Amino acid sequence: MINTDVLVIGGGPAGMAAALSASENGSKVVLVERDNILGGILNQCIHNGFGLHYFHEELTGPEFAYRFRKLVEADKNITVYTNTLVTKIGEKFVEVMGALGNERINAKAIVLAMGCHERTAGNINLCGTRPMGVLTAGTVQKMVNIDGKIVGKDVVILGSGDIGLIMARRLTLEGAKVHMVLEINQTSSGLRRNIMQCLEDFDIPLLFSHTVFEVVGRDRVEGIYYGEVDENFKPIESTRKFLKCDTVVLSVGLVPEMAVANFVKTSNITNGAVVNEFYQTEKGWLFSCGNILHVHDLVDNVALEAKQAGKFASLYASNKLLASDNVLEVEHSKDFSYALPATIFAGQGNTEIKFRLKAKIIKKTIVAKCGDVILGKKFVLAGVPGEMMSITFDKSGANKKISLEIV
Amino acid sequence: MKIYDCIVIGAGVVGTSIFNKLTRIGKTCLLLDKASDVATGASKANSGIVHAGYDPKPESLKAKLNVRGNKLYPQICQRLGVKLNHCGALVVGNDLEKIESLHQRAKLNGVKTEIWGKQQIQNKVPCINDDINSALYAVDSYVVSPYLFTISLADEAILNGGEIALEEDLISVKKKDCFEITTKKGTYYSNHIINSAGAGYNDVAKILGTEQKPLEFRRGEYFVFDKTYNLDVPCTIFPLPSVVSKGILVTPTVDGNFLVGPTSDESDDCTKVTSKGLQKIKENVMTTIKGINFKKSIRQFSGIRVICGNDFVIEKSKLVDGVINLAGLCSPALTSAPAIAEMVLDLLGYENKELDNLKQIEPYVMFKDKPKDEQQKLLATDENYKNIVCKCEKITKGDILFALNRPLKVHSVDGVKRRTNAGMGGCQGGFCFPKVVENIAQENGIEFEKVLKENRGSEVAVGEIREVHHD
Repeated sequence: MINTDVLVIGGGPAGMAAALSASENGSKVVLVERDNILGGILNQCIHNGFGLHYFHEELTGPEFAYRFRKLVEADKNITVYTNTLVTKIGEKFVEVMGALGNERINAKAIVLAMGCHERTAGNINLCGTRPMGVLTAGTVQKMVNIDGKIVGKDVVILGSGDIGLIMARRLTLEGAKVHMVLEINQTSSGLRRNIMQCLEDFDIPLLFSHTVFEVVGRDRVEGIYYGEVDENFKPIESTRKFLKCDTVVLSVGLVPEMAVANFVKTSNITNGAVVNEFYQTEKGWLFSCGNILHVHDLVDNVALEAKQAGKFASLYASNKLLASDNVLEVEHSKDFSYALPATIFAGQGNTEIKFRLKAKIIKKTIVAKCGDVILGKKFVLAGVPGEMMSITFDKSGANKKISLEIV
Repeated sequence: MKIYDCIVIGAGVVGTSIFNKLTRIGKTCLLLDKASDVATGASKANSGIVHAGYDPKPESLKAKLNVRGNKLYPQICQRLGVKLNHCGALVVGNDLEKIESLHQRAKLNGVKTEIWGKQQIQNKVPCINDDINSALYAVDSYVVSPYLFTISLADEAILNGGEIALEEDLISVKKKDCFEITTKKGTYYSNHIINSAGAGYNDVAKILGTEQKPLEFRRGEYFVFDKTYNLDVPCTIFPLPSVVSKGILVTPTVDGNFLVGPTSDESDDCTKVTSKGLQKIKENVMTTIKGINFKKSIRQFSGIRVICGNDFVIEKSKLVDGVINLAGLCSPALTSAPAIAEMVLDLLGYENKELDNLKQIEPYVMFKDKPKDEQQKLLATDENYKNIVCKCEKITKGDILFALNRPLKVHSVDGVKRRTNAGMGGCQGGFCFPKVVENIAQENGIEFEKVLKENRGSEVAVGEIREVHHD
């Protein structure tokens, strides 16, 4: 039996940032990680572009992870258990297996920071056969960057998520031919800079409103039937074409790793927990941050969010997390796919609402309102669904529902 | 020159059951298959139901063998340590006359069934469609892992002297004093041959010079749901059967998730999933179960049923003495397999008398499912049980190594998956796939990129980085 103030589950950027922050706020922290090293998915993200906001310099994923790992290792208040998998979360305790054997860890507060897994062929009901060569982008990334193996020579990428775009470039540099990226939507969920640097610079076509109709091949992928989809994402059979290839890389989104915490109320949009301003779930002792809460575009933002969550978890553990009884719900107009947190406590000071747009906007102003009172404004030159945005404002004027709107 | 009593061609559940049975009565036997593992055809892709036997036409082979097989399953599964879930089955519908006639048929087949009313059905299955008023309940219906059952039979048979040759391509068969079977790898001799090649029956029959059969392939597609999806499916639920199939059923698996399917479409021998098929399942299942959220499906697969007329074909070849033909072993072949093995024994003129000194296998029980004291013992002696490979299914490196060191050697990722469940969870191997490959490569002493996903030609990588160039 292990006892601690704050237990952080997951040793990626979110978990490490949350652990450091909880420690800074005076808590004894246990950090558990299922892999044998801290860093999470960052360890396989060998491209650059990380750290611009957090460290104010451009780092690779492993470098970003290394910096955090050094800080965690130097922190005497944090005990790290790698190779440790949480198999059950109970009221202020978890059960684990792995390096510790069968162990129970009691904590006053628990932070979920397990990130996501990739959406699979099954999640998107991919049709056709089930041969070797249909892989998610993250798996390909691990096999190429960590194991040093090339997964195929003729590649098609389904979905234009960031890992897919990054892998289009990576596989091209390793000598594979990336024939095309197919995106079922009319816009990409990937970052603009990745579309430029990973596709356009290598003349890899990105076909919008296109998808894979069917995978062909018994033992190994031999090709795909692909084509256009209509506005309901249904394949238009008359556009059906065949392309010979040996690999289909899926980059079709991420799913928060909520399986072990499936007792918590979740959002239908983000599939992450419903949280308040303190990143606190409906179970007061359970906090959530990073990609398991909602999928971020930038690891820097994951770390910043986790830092907040870690602080609140620490305060909760020492009975210092004071909240107003006046809970204000956060609503949004149909222009947004979601807004987070779900609730804000009435009181003094600044607060932040994160959100994603449903469709592209140009030169619009986003406002946070309480009744007719405008609490905060944000002018957006160009906004896309693929980009997480936020609005920060002084909440002292708010006494009932807060709503996000575009004016 | 070794002459086997029997060579069985085709390592599905039926071929492997026969193989297992022959070794148990002390016969020398070789099991041949072109695949890299047993149970890679129809035996890995079906509903996993051990049917009670109310459905087949009385007096047919299907009826007799189904009922007998169903009776044999509990003892065989207990012997092998294979999970058999006695969940029961409901045939639901509003045509009371049809249900009554099925009940009568069950009686003729000697199968225990009960007619249930609305309240009783709803108590058992809260998610049943509100329109359903009546059902037939088959008490002795089970679910089993069809592949783990087959694999365990193979393991046990090997332990008792049986031999298996996989990745074999049949070239020719000659009959002199005995059969001389030549494959790409070598030559084998035997007194009898069993053709249990399933979808490949006619290919094998051609080489043997035995009867070709008019075979029809039917593709059945399925949805598999995530374990964490908490829709309670306590028993197998069928709609009233149609002419072509038992309809779209919903059934729990022994692993704690549930399946919805199968379709029944004319097909070639290609296990693909189609948008039409999946749509058909979604539409048809609504007549029995309400509120299934298909977004919780983690995988879709299809299997091929081989049909030959209305009944199983299990016969001595009239063209070549010493060959047993097994054709059209579609549903309920999984259930019937142990009984088919007995029948084949009979056709071969062997007495069904098992040896006294037979060995037992260690059951496939993963670390997470072992009793606490056994877990402690393993943790104290083997570091590999402290190493997590598959986080969704909670499978350790120790479990993977256990699977790789069984009587039947396995060297494919899917083979390991069928034995351990590694890769069957929510992320579908997204995280553990490379780790499993690495373990197979290390343990079997082969290169990473030579590891197979399933069969020859499914190597997991094409080379090292900076080695491949596109021409």
